[in-house]
Amino acid sequence: MAQARGDLPLLDRRLAIVTGKGGTGKTTVVAALARAAADRGRRVLVTEVGRDAHVPRLLDPAATEPGYEEREIVPGISVMRIEPFAALTEYLGLQIGMPGLVARVLQNRGFRQLMGASPGWRDLITLGKVWHLEQMVRDGRPKYDLIIVDAPATGHGMTFLDVPRVVAAAVRAGPLRQHTLQVEALIADPERTLLIPVALAEELPARETTALVRRVRNELSIHVDRVIVNAVHELPFSEDLGDLDAQLAGLPDVIDFEALPPPAVLARCVRYLRSRWQLNQRYLEEIRRQTELPTVALPYLASGVRGAEDIARLAEAVIAEPRRETLT
Amino acid sequence: MNAEARALFERRIVVCVGCGGVGKTTISAALALEAARSGLRTLVLTIDPARRLADALGVEDLGNEPRALPREALAELGVPPEGSLSAVMLDMKRTFDELVERLAENGESRDRIMSNPIYQNVSDALAGSVEYSAMEKVYQLSEEPDYDLLVVDTPPAQHALDFLEAPQRMLEFLESRIVQLLIHPAFAAGRFGFRIFQRGAHRVFGVIEQVTGVGFLEDISEFLLAFEGMSDGFRRRALSVRGLLEGPDSAYVLVAGPGPESVAQSHQFLDRLEGFGIRLEGVVANRVRLWPDGPVPDAIEPTPRDIETLRDGLARRAGEGFPAEAAARAAIACAEGYAAQVRRDAAELETLRARVESHRRFWRAVPELDEDAHDLEALARLGRLVSESTGEKS
Repeated sequence: MAQARGDLPLLDRRLAIVTGKGGTGKTTVVAALARAAADRGRRVLVTEVGRDAHVPRLLDPAATEPGYEEREIVPGISVMRIEPFAALTEYLGLQIGMPGLVARVLQNRGFRQLMGASPGWRDLITLGKVWHLEQMVRDGRPKYDLIIVDAPATGHGMTFLDVPRVVAAAVRAGPLRQHTLQVEALIADPERTLLIPVALAEELPARETTALVRRVRNELSIHVDRVIVNAVHELPFSEDLGDLDAQLAGLPDVIDFEALPPPAVLARCVRYLRSRWQLNQRYLEEIRRQTELPTVALPYLASGVRGAEDIARLAEAVIAEPRRETLT
Repeated sequence: MNAEARALFERRIVVCVGCGGVGKTTISAALALEAARSGLRTLVLTIDPARRLADALGVEDLGNEPRALPREALAELGVPPEGSLSAVMLDMKRTFDELVERLAENGESRDRIMSNPIYQNVSDALAGSVEYSAMEKVYQLSEEPDYDLLVVDTPPAQHALDFLEAPQRMLEFLESRIVQLLIHPAFAAGRFGFRIFQRGAHRVFGVIEQVTGVGFLEDISEFLLAFEGMSDGFRRRALSVRGLLEGPDSAYVLVAGPGPESVAQSHQFLDRLEGFGIRLEGVVANRVRLWPDGPVPDAIEPTPRDIETLRDGLARRAGEGFPAEAAARAAIACAEGYAAQVRRDAAELETLRARVESHRRFWRAVPELDEDAHDLEALARLGRLVSESTGEKS
């Protein structure tokens, strides 16, 4: 047996599926991962799933909405959006080899209605397209070294990844079953595929991440080796000033500043920033304990994550060695 | 309680929509608790498979049947005897099964559906059925005479819209020619019986069959056949729920958070709601950092004398050994840091606030609390902030 499968560096995988509760900054993590991989000479493809695609603009302010065609927006990073009907058209074209017939069928109103009402196929065809992209070869090597999937938010993300198994169980024979099994094999291969949960170090996101990791372990065969924790506040002063807010609150309110808010307001500001820091530290620890996984912490950027510069700042942090303990 | 909250609670259904991570589930629960405090028998439904509502209410075994919260706990929070609060979490599989039980003509057709492999998998695990089940659940609950008000928490943006579209999609599906052909008895008579039908249909089925194999189409047609007897019932229910969700008995509240992604998504969300012709009642901006003392200053620029005053004050209070100089500078850095965050939240929310107020909808900015609202008492505080504030102008 070779090295433990968790030892494989993140960027040496073929497929990174990034998921997390809405609002955790999944988009930021996808963009930072793409940046980090491209900086190391990898050819990266970001695939957006769903209607809202925000990653391209974080990498290049001039980027337009991604379409079904892969497009290199900055050197080394291509983006696309997997539109299910487009993927279905491509798939059926490849299967049947009669583009005219396929186009007519897909324009059939009844067919579109049948598909519009049928649950699940969008997820399956999306993953099928990801598999297809992973198989693509150019100049004798894979067209993309790393494919990053900007997957749906957690609740739905789970059914998204479960679809191949469900379809393989429901469809008993034929090419669809074969292809579904291939997709399932890719997702379940720890050498090729890594699931990356994104969390915030707060109570509900931490609990939800724990639930996600447990479900992944119990029900899905997809490898997960770290949790990326976004927007972790840093303490803006050294810890020996620990009770600074109490000291400030104890100052007599007769103190009259010329241009500074009163001591009580200063105390509130200190208390807020310190309590955010404490909260984040507590839930970082909680996430590690409950998921039994190491964490990678991305710093909170007070001015927000707005564009390529901010992403460049986070790119190093996002591929840092996952941490098992709090540094004190 | 203010007039806007009162108007909201006069409806039958309050639907909370918004993108992920803004505390929609928490706000739904807080609104429901506030409605209970106003004397209404209230039920809150979450259709988010991520189980956040149970977390917020501190109920461990929240399931597909409404669970009443203990009366004593509610009374302590000011819920009068006539008011109550129950919670329910959508269980897709059970809801679908119940629907089949209810609509099936007889035991035999029920068993045929339940044992069909397509049904077993579709109703169990696939994404789109969340919306179908949710639609059914809202309808079921709205018919219950035990509640005055139903507060509906929805999955994050993308899927909340699927939820609104579900009745329409269901109707289109049932009425589509392809379904009619699939469930036609001639199709059931023999595997290739349908070939005598129109050439277009022939081609469509041919393509599906090439990809999926023959067994899949058979399963589907059997599934649809078994469903045929229920399709009238389905159609009636789909029409009713659509009428309910788009009618005057339903009110929509958008929950937003500061942060560029959330604000951009909230705008898109408002666009889509307008596209549906749905009137929004108002927006709750949740977890907004507010300045403790009036409007946030444009800059924190202490004079040299201010820094000395602060340092000396701290030195006198904390005594020897306390690094008063460093502490004074740290305090000022914190004030600058927090003020920057307050300004950032206000700036990010500004376009949303302007849009909402120009449409004369209510706007509430709820401050970020030190902890997530994870128990009933915190939910009650939050509910009061939403329903009693006079409208925070950020």
